[in-house]
Amino acid sequence: MTLKQFIKRIFLIEIMQGMALTLKMMFTHAVTRQFPEERRDPIPGFRGRHAFVRDSKTGKEKCIMCMKCSTVCPSQCIYISKQKREEDGKFYLAQFDIEALRCIFCGYCVEVCPVCALVLTEEFEYSAYTKEEIYFTREKLLANWDEFAAKQKVETYFNKFWRPEGLDTSKMTKFKREQGPVLLKPGAATPEAAQVPAEKETA
Amino acid sequence: MQSEKEITTKYLTLNMGPQHPATHGVLRLVLDLDGETVVKCTPHIGYLHRGMEKWSESRTYPTAMPLMNRLDYVAAVANEIGYCVAVERLLGVEVPERAKYIRTMTAEMVRICSHIIWLAAHAIDIGAMTVFLYSMRDRETLLDLFEMLCGARLLHIYPRIGGVRCDVSQEFLDGVYKFTDKFPKLIEEYETLIDQNRIWFQRTKGIGVIGAEEAINLGLTGPTLRGSGVAYDIRKVSPYDAYDKVEFDVPVGKNCDVYDRYRCRMDEFRQSNRIIRQCVEKLPDGLVLNPDAPGLDMLPGPIKKAAPVPAPEADAVPVMSPAGPAFTEIYSATEVPKGELGYYIVSDGTGKPYRMRIRTPSFMHISALPRFCEGNLVADVIALIGTIDIVLGECDR
Repeated sequence: MTLKQFIKRIFLIEIMQGMALTLKMMFTHAVTRQFPEERRDPIPGFRGRHAFVRDSKTGKEKCIMCMKCSTVCPSQCIYISKQKREEDGKFYLAQFDIEALRCIFCGYCVEVCPVCALVLTEEFEYSAYTKEEIYFTREKLLANWDEFAAKQKVETYFNKFWRPEGLDTSKMTKFKREQGPVLLKPGAATPEAAQVPAEKETA
Repeated sequence: MQSEKEITTKYLTLNMGPQHPATHGVLRLVLDLDGETVVKCTPHIGYLHRGMEKWSESRTYPTAMPLMNRLDYVAAVANEIGYCVAVERLLGVEVPERAKYIRTMTAEMVRICSHIIWLAAHAIDIGAMTVFLYSMRDRETLLDLFEMLCGARLLHIYPRIGGVRCDVSQEFLDGVYKFTDKFPKLIEEYETLIDQNRIWFQRTKGIGVIGAEEAINLGLTGPTLRGSGVAYDIRKVSPYDAYDKVEFDVPVGKNCDVYDRYRCRMDEFRQSNRIIRQCVEKLPDGLVLNPDAPGLDMLPGPIKKAAPVPAPEADAVPVMSPAGPAFTEIYSATEVPKGELGYYIVSDGTGKPYRMRIRTPSFMHISALPRFCEGNLVADVIALIGTIDIVLGECDR
């Protein structure tokens, strides 16, 4: 053992260095956030609570019952049914349910939707006491959108999974290609974004 | 008077886990103890079995992808990339250059995440509390970056067959670059705390010595094998994505003990940092997803357009097909933070795998755990579980 090693051993040099670091850290800013009081804005594109985009023209959802979302859903938690209307023989959306407790928030449904009707909003606090509260029916999905829209400070909203950057758009539907930011508050500017789908796809 | 030799003792059977916080998940070890020495160690696994291999046979290739990040949930992107690489080799799908670089970058980011978790858990198991706090602080930066990239912090679901899901933003690249600037200093912080610490030395040096030959025979891979002095890294041996276009070294240990495996992983931090930096600098322009790749709405029926004829560079071997669909099989391995993750897929020419088997590093490492433990003290078992770096989700699948 050399003298240097001996000194290191006696005076606990390496432990003192560690202690000095922890002491130094006492005088730096705290990195923790006191969560319920201190909040961070969620980053745009966060995959949170589901919602149906409320079309500012019709005031209803944009779903065209193409069943794509329920087909690609890896956990198969989307239930859709359509019914024939007696008067004109057209199909209408009878049921659109998302069982959010089974959802894994992959966002595949948002990505495949040809009319950008679905969205995973940046909302992440929605715990509830009963199962029924997190079983999103069509009305609840629209209400989720209203709740989300009311909280936003900006006028328009565009989810990045509606038309992901860097992808070839030529195979996407016309509506998806032309989808712009949607209006959050109805009736402000001209609804350039809220276009009616060009061709109604059924099944 | 009885002499010491005449006293007969029975072995004590001790049940460690599955709820023990130091077993890194739901691992149960049945230890036969002679005093404080482990005579026999029997791992019991399967508490987290979810039947992923069977389940993925009932889903198409793209929709089975979100399941793959549930294997090693601390390094989700790495598992997804492994799966995508396997399916791409099977279906002969090309990946655009930009997507390759982005994948490499995210895989290395997640390697840092995983090693940070390993370091935190390993250190707190052995008794160094502060390392845990500091490393969790730095992981947060990476998780925020992932949130910016793909909207999820832990289970990213970012790659797609034939590329990645969405392009990176300039803000994200700036954040990553800033992180690579800062990170080497943070590694030094961890090292100040434990690298030369005498308590750390006593707990790790000379423990769990497994020589190179035996390590290979036990099926160890990744940093656990490299700590035993074998420079085997799939990123170097059979490069995928953009690993053949970036420069990095493979750190190798010398003394084959717990300390050397720790050193290996600390050096991998620096190498990963280097790879990320190069990826950001070299990132080419272009699309991030091959337009001809199977989309999310791939049909479960026979693949019409691109029959599963493997690309010439892929090592797929066609096997017998007397009648019906053409069977193809492939084994594709990638280097995830824990070791070699291999996907063995048998395809019958449809949009679903006919059979899938996942070779996970944690499973192999746990099977080597009895060899590590025997003859060591109970306190060392904790250090040894840490050194093989296991995640039980990956082991049980």
